[in-house]
Amino acid sequence: MIKRGILIGLCLGFLLTGCDLIEYHPYDVRIDGETNINLKNIEKIQQQCAGKDTIRFAFMGDSQRWYDETADFVKHINKQDSIDFVIHGGDISDFGITKEFLWIRDIMQGLRIPYVALIGNHDILGNGKEVFEQVYGDENFAFIAGNTKFVCMNTNALEYDYSHPVPDFDFISREAADSARYSKTVAVMHVKPYDDQFNNNVARLFHAEIKKFRSLQFALHAHNHKLQTTDVFKDGIIYYGCASMKQRNYMVFTLTTNGYSYEVVNY
Amino acid sequence: MKLSIIKKIIVFVLLLMVAYSLTAAETYSPGVEKYHRVWNHLIPRYTKLQYAGSMGFMSVGTGWQYGSNHQWETDLLLGIVPRYSSKRAKATLTLKQNFMPWNVELNDRWSLEPLACGLYVTTLLDNEFWTKEPEKYPSGYYGFSTKLRANIFVGQRLSFSCDKNNPNKKVTLFYELSTSDLYFISAATNKYINPRDVLSLSFGVKLQLF
Repeated sequence: MIKRGILIGLCLGFLLTGCDLIEYHPYDVRIDGETNINLKNIEKIQQQCAGKDTIRFAFMGDSQRWYDETADFVKHINKQDSIDFVIHGGDISDFGITKEFLWIRDIMQGLRIPYVALIGNHDILGNGKEVFEQVYGDENFAFIAGNTKFVCMNTNALEYDYSHPVPDFDFISREAADSARYSKTVAVMHVKPYDDQFNNNVARLFHAEIKKFRSLQFALHAHNHKLQTTDVFKDGIIYYGCASMKQRNYMVFTLTTNGYSYEVVNY
Repeated sequence: MKLSIIKKIIVFVLLLMVAYSLTAAETYSPGVEKYHRVWNHLIPRYTKLQYAGSMGFMSVGTGWQYGSNHQWETDLLLGIVPRYSSKRAKATLTLKQNFMPWNVELNDRWSLEPLACGLYVTTLLDNEFWTKEPEKYPSGYYGFSTKLRANIFVGQRLSFSCDKNNPNKKVTLFYELSTSDLYFISAATNKYINPRDVLSLSFGVKLQLF
């Protein structure tokens, strides 16, 4: 009888505390909490940077399975007071599992400044793409901060077949033709041309198309887990690559009316 | 086309012959008895229904129990994962091995298995998930399977005997705490991830009728 009492007590205990212990499947795309983050944060970025000549933003990526390091990154960024926003260059998750996106989301929601996130190749695994779309939004998106436009593109072509356009040249053309008020552009992607994931048959075409963006300053990418500065097409348009969270550093870019500068911050 | 029709006819005739030989063998001989005994062992003796546990919203299946005190059980479960925010609902198949080392008789009706443990492998029946990386990737690119998950679990079970004269007729209620391979790796390498983040609680019932 005592044993039965203990058992019933245990069961009740689990029932009362176990609500967040219920999982139907790691890939169930059952999402609670904040969704559509990119659109909400873009509104904040556009508002907070409106009319500013100088903007500063942090660029990081590949948080994957480095939760402790990403949490430390958030703490470090929160101590800075001159950074306007953060761009996560993709590979939010490691396995495309629903909970991974929510763990990183909850860590990144600790930022005092707004952030946007791109889709990385790991985020497409299983049905990760559907989680990304729910939590963050469209795979291709753009926003204006101050007088700079940021065009963020899905370039993880190896994860798709030809039924889905990666990179999406229609999107790129639309952004190039955009007549909104801004004076320069920064291109952002997870994988840069000539890396393993990119559709390298169109690498040159892609570069030619993004050069049609109004006064393209430089391009940003993640994916390779190391700091990189590459003049991929030898034409002065630099592709800057950030390290992964494992390396415990991030890049800070400062855009002014005269040009731009960047630094690497270790934490 | 013609060949497949001929194949079908041959299979049909063979099946007829097997069915005929079985009915003809109703006159018992030791060989037939042994044949029946072997197949009898393979008849599943119970039905299981399990809620959650990272193998589907609800899973239903059957299985086999063996060992001197029926301390081993092997289940085959079919589960359903609702659509939620994904493109479609998905089915899962689970192969589960249970081990219950002790059985404590509480009274003539109730008994408790204070520890149930084991492992199970789930597979997602959906073509966007793969067991082996597709050939388009350089070898070992991701190094894991999105389709197969290995899980370990511990739990407890409480049984009620429906018929005092037949110990095999009983209803068993159980709960389990489990985690899967990828969650285990994530929790083991990060202080940020608590056991609570990666544990999955499930409840189930086992109905044994004979």
